[in-house]
This record gives sequence, structure tokens and C-alpha cells, in this order.
Amino acid sequence: MDVVVLVKQVPDTESLIQIEGDGVSIKTDDIKWVMNPYDELAVEAALQIKEAKGGTVTILSLGPEKTVETIRTALAMGADKGVHIFDPAADGSDALSKGKLLAAALKTLPFDLVIAGMRAVDEDNYQVGSAVAELLDIPQISQVTKVAVEDQTIKCHRVIEGGTVVVEATLPALFTTQRGLNEPRYASLPGIMKAKKKPIDTLSLADLGIDPETVGPAGRKVKVAVLNFPPDRKTVKMVDGGNPGEMAAKLVKILHEDVKAI
Amino acid sequence: MNDAREELPFDILFIGGGPANLAGAIHLMNLAGEKGIELEVGLIEKGDEIGSHALSGAILDPIALEELIPDYLAKGCPIEEPECRDEFYFLTRNRYFNVPFTPRYMHNEGCCVISLSKFTRWLAEMAESLGVNIFPGFSGTGVIYSSDNHRITGVATGDKGIDKNSHKKSTFEPGVDLTAKITVFGEGSRGSLIQEVDRKMGIFSDKMPQVFETAIKEVIELPDSNHFLSSDTTVMHTFGYPLGLHTKGGGFLYKMAKNRISLGLVVGLEYENPLMEPYRAFIQLKQHPLIAKIIEGGKVLQQGAKTLPAGGYYTMPSLAVDGALFVGDSASMLNTQRLKGIHTAMKSGMLAAETIIPALEEDDLTRRTLGKYESKVKQSWIHREHYAARNFSQALSKKGLLKFVHLGVQYFTQGKGVNDPLPIEADHTTLKEMGDEKATEVSVPMANDFDGELYVDKLTGVYLSGTQHVEDQPCHLIVQDMDLCSTRCYHEYRNPCTRFCPAQVYEMVEESPGVRRLKLNPANCLHCKTCEIKDPYNNITWTCPEGGGGPKYSIT
Repeated sequence: MDVVVLVKQVPDTESLIQIEGDGVSIKTDDIKWVMNPYDELAVEAALQIKEAKGGTVTILSLGPEKTVETIRTALAMGADKGVHIFDPAADGSDALSKGKLLAAALKTLPFDLVIAGMRAVDEDNYQVGSAVAELLDIPQISQVTKVAVEDQTIKCHRVIEGGTVVVEATLPALFTTQRGLNEPRYASLPGIMKAKKKPIDTLSLADLGIDPETVGPAGRKVKVAVLNFPPDRKTVKMVDGGNPGEMAAKLVKILHEDVKAI
Repeated sequence: MNDAREELPFDILFIGGGPANLAGAIHLMNLAGEKGIELEVGLIEKGDEIGSHALSGAILDPIALEELIPDYLAKGCPIEEPECRDEFYFLTRNRYFNVPFTPRYMHNEGCCVISLSKFTRWLAEMAESLGVNIFPGFSGTGVIYSSDNHRITGVATGDKGIDKNSHKKSTFEPGVDLTAKITVFGEGSRGSLIQEVDRKMGIFSDKMPQVFETAIKEVIELPDSNHFLSSDTTVMHTFGYPLGLHTKGGGFLYKMAKNRISLGLVVGLEYENPLMEPYRAFIQLKQHPLIAKIIEGGKVLQQGAKTLPAGGYYTMPSLAVDGALFVGDSASMLNTQRLKGIHTAMKSGMLAAETIIPALEEDDLTRRTLGKYESKVKQSWIHREHYAARNFSQALSKKGLLKFVHLGVQYFTQGKGVNDPLPIEADHTTLKEMGDEKATEVSVPMANDFDGELYVDKLTGVYLSGTQHVEDQPCHLIVQDMDLCSTRCYHEYRNPCTRFCPAQVYEMVEESPGVRRLKLNPANCLHCKTCEIKDPYNNITWTCPEGGGGPKYSIT
């Protein structure tokens, strides 16, 4: 079974995030870049399928030069090869353009299954996986918490309001990962050594046959108008002293008189 | 997942990704390249990235860097402020006095301000481009010896994926035995492994006890309109308030790039008052009129803390044993007198590299060849700096004005001073007992001092350090006797761990009136190791948590 995993490099959410002067992007110089946590689940799922069924795991990623570090991390976890779409003209693409670029690369790769994170924690669009499946005209199953792969089919559990639903599709197919699917493994030290020697192919827009005018800033159908931080959280006030009854009474008094919530 | 430990052999293995080892690794690759020697070189670092655990003032004397990478500016070395224009202040509670004449060792002409975190990341890029295998996120948890125990043959990395009850999780990943012809230990201040080496090989025996200082620092962003940004001063040092003259240490404020400043307080851990709280002293420094005016309107971007080895010359260990060398802060290379340790750390790593090459050529990895590192240090400017400052730290530990007598005599006797060597006491022995008469709980409320932007409490500070640990892992702080905390320690010192820890890792909770219990928050730990150093009963052992845990400094 040949599995391709879509991986994105994103800012570590613990990084120092500051909004750039243009108001629509973030300052990138002091940021630590990591693999999107949902993509870690995707890599782990692919490796487990490979361990059970054999085959290959290919990491496909789109991004600037340093994206290679994240591809190497996935290779150190145990993936076999990397494909890096790297072209400055693709910077600033919206979710649909990213989908186009990834789908174009997938057309050059053999695959039975594509796995992607359900969302990237930086832009939170929840769109790229779906766009890729649509452009490849293959079935897609989103927000998967459990997966079973047979020779021709895939069966996935999805969490829905108040329960789970089990859905099936024939391969090739694409699914996106939700928390709870698995616990991603660590990249081991011998794994990191081995990853240094694993191949990473680089593809440009020309290699993919994509017109630069249709992606990047020019191809955006949606533009970021403004970025804002969430409002500051006020300091926590602890209700202390006395027995639970007295504390509850104090809390009610605060909610009523100070916060005026009740 | 495979549960067996693998062995991964290297020629040379560096433990720790600070300036000493990175400079050592770069120099080693350059020297090996010149001689046409092929080397497999590995470097491990417990932080999740190189630089994540690097925190310093930092003023860099580029003397070692110029030797290592002469075209460092062309290679993009990150410099925050190229010129050091010093001012030195004595602070009283509400006033400040500019000290016009400072001793020559306090002058910083020719030095520059850097962020050690950024600087080490850059050094790591240089090292990687030369072929050094750098492994961030891996902690060394044990030293590997030859079967006769006489020679160090490598370091074992810690297992990952162990839960808090010491059981393997589904993600369990066994550690690796990294073996090497020569292992270079550059673990930084109060390394865990070097202490293990000392217990086995006695490298610190017959030396004065190592003494430390704890530094708390912030990077603050100032508004464009801030007057300090347009002033000529780039470097300020303060002494006096809030520490007074009985505790060594002082404040620093350095101008950085992009409207930022580095502000910190260094506190000597030989302090006597168990109620002393370094974090509170840091806040007091920020609130002092001199500093408060400079930082007005600012916002804290990052905060962190670490210890630094302040003992200097007489506390340096044996620098070589069979199969291993010791560099940087681990080997007490920091020069307290110049408030600098990056240049000496780098030089020590480079001298280690210069020792390694002939040892490999002679195929003799014993102290006979590696011991030449000690003589190289002796013949270098590291020794000249350190020898002149050999009694400096001890003099600073003297109380009140007596310290100035010692310092003055030392100044005019090339460091010899009144007594040579001037003795020093280990930090864990200096706290004065409180006695039972002050039996009330001591807690100094600080809540009103914080606005969450410029003045932040300890937990916000922990957040701003980016500190994260895998929650479900064994507690990395070993408290041998928990009863001691609620009994003797409470009575004698009122649990100083709750104050000296800058990250609120230690809390005493009163479960019922008079019944107290120590509660640990190991996930907050900034890896500064103040607890292991200052705990008056040596009741706390700091061990390495799972690799990749700890702060994520990027601009400190």
C-alpha cells in the first residue's frame, strides 16, 4: 500500500507570535517552526498502515526552503521519501491554490491513500484536504478518529455530535485526522541519522505545469483583511475560604454584583 | 516499536549545544579538514532546538569568535547591538548614582550585545554545514564507562514515552547508547552528568566548592517613542538595591535590535536570608525609578532564568579524564569579574578541539594526551583572565563594605588580595535559620505589582518562557525526604524552595490547619537548577526530564 501524507510546517503555538506592520501577516523571524500537530497524527497513521500492510510512505509538503526540516522530521519518524513543492511564486497561496499545487504533485506520485491533518493550526482553514480530494476526484473522509484499511477499501470512524459514525470508501481515497486517532511516535536518534540519507525531491511550479498567475497572491480568491489577537484574558480571581457552601455563596455574590452576569 | 537500546558510535561526541561545544565542534571540523581526517561527530542537546535553553545577558567579547570564524559578520552572525557604551549605577531604594570610574575589567569596549539563543542557533548552522550531526531534543541521562570503569566511552540518552508511574507508553522509544572515542561535556551550569563523573572520578575533589548565581532575565519591547532607544547608552549595570551589599549580584540592561532591551538581575546564591526571593528582587529592580522610567510603556516578550557558575579559577575541575574533556560553564570557565562566560566557553571548546586532533593522531585517548588540554588552557588568555580574578567571587560574597576592602586590595595586587586563596562556602550552607519565634507563614503578596504586560507574575513568566514538558512522565525533581519539607525545613527556613525557584515549581499546600505538604509542579521547570544548588539539606536532585522539554527561548 502506497500512502502519501500531506504535511505542513507551521509556527509552534508556544512561539512568540507578533503581528507584522502590514496587519495581515505575522512576524516570522523569532518563530520556531514545527510540524502541524494534526499532520503528526497523519504520519503516525501512515506508518502504522505501512507496518501492517507493507508499501511506502511519502511525505508531500508545500512551503519555503526551511520546510525541508519538517519533511526530515517525518522521514526520521520512519517515512521513506519526501517531495517538496518549493517555488517562491507559490508563497501566499490561499487554501484552494494550495490544494491545486498538492493535487498536481500527487498526480505524479503512485498512491492508494492520502492522509492529511484535518486543519493546520496556523490558518485553521479546514479546506486543503478537501480541495485535494475534490481535484483528484477521489473519496474523502474528514476528521477521522479510527481507521481500518483493507486491500480495496478503507473504513473510518468519525466523531459526530453525541456519537460516532463509521464510513467506508473504496481506495484510492483521502482522509483527514482528528485528535484521538493515535499517539504520534518520537523521531528516534537512529531514525534521524537514517533520515539524512533519505531522498527529498523538489518540484517547482514549472515541474507541476502550473501557471504562477493562478496561484500565490495573484490567485487568491480570499484575502486576509486584518489579523487580531484574542482579547486579553483578565486575571483569574480565586474564590477562597470557608466550606463549599460559603464559597458558592461568595461566587454567586461576585457573579451578581461584580461581574453582573446573573 | 523496538524496545532494545541501540548503540550509535561516533568518533567525537559533544554533550550539550551551548557556545562551548558548538565552537569546539566547528573548530574540530575545521582542524580535521585541514589534516584530511574524516570524523563522525555528534552533538546532543536536551532543549527541543539549539538555543531553546540558551539564556544570557549577553555581552560577547568576540575574541574567540574572531579566531573561530573570522568573517562572522559576513556569515550572518546575529548581533543585537554592535557597540557597548557602558554606564554603571549604584542604586538605593529610591535613588541612583552614576559611578563615573569603573574598574578596567568592567569596561566593554570592543564587545557587542547578542542574544545567546540566536547566537547558538547560528553557530549550530555553521557546525551543521561542516558536517556535525546535531540532535536537539535528546538528553544525556547516564555516562558510559569502559568495563574497568577507568575510561569514559560515551553517554546514554534517556528513554522517551515513559508515564508518570514509570511504565512504558505506546509511544515508548528507548534511549540510545552513544559511544565515542572522546566525549566532550559542555552541559552548562551545574550539569547532571559531570556530577556523576565527579562521583566516580573525583574531578572536583580538592577544589573549592562550586558557587552559583541565579539570573532572571526578560526581553522587553519598548514603544518607538521611548527615550532610552534614542539615547547613547547601550549597556547599563547596577548594584546595591534591591540586593543590598550583603548579597553579590546586580542588574543589567542591554539595548538590543528592534526596539528591544534585555533586562535582568543576577543574585548570588550565597545569600543568607531564607526569605529572600530572587524573582521578587527582580520585580523590585524593574520598579526602581531608574529602570521603571526606561521600560515605561514596554511589554515583556520573553522571560527566563538560569544559574551561572561564579566560582572561577579555584573551582575549576580537572579538565580531562581518560576518554573525556570538560568545557564551558560545566568546567567553571565563566569569568565573574568581567560578567562574561561566552568567550571563555568558546575558547575552552576550541582548545579541547586542538587537543583532540593530536590525541586521535597518536591514537592515545587517555589523560596522557587529553591532559594537554589543561596546559593549553593554562597557556591561553582564559587562564590570564581567570587568574587575575581568582579571588573575586569570594570577595563579592563578603558582607557590606568589607567586600570593597578585598576588591580594592585585589585590584592593586593582580588578584592576590588579602588572602590567596580566599576561601568560599558552598551555597547550600549559607542560609541562616529563622528560629521558631517568627512562626507565622511568610508570604509576600505581589499581586498588585503586576499588570500582565510589563510586570508579570511568575506563572505568566513561565508562559513567556515557552516552557513545556510532556505532562505524563516521571517527576524529574527527586525530593528524597518529603517529610523534611513539612517539619524541619518549615521550622528552620520556612521552605525557601517556594521562593528561590523562579518558576513556582515548589509550593507548600496547607491541607488542614498546620498540616503542610510539598506540591511539585515539575512541568513549570525552567531547568535553572537553583533548587539543587540552594536547598539547605541537599534534599533535591534535579534529573533530566524527557528530551525536548523545558523552555523554548528564542530571543534571550
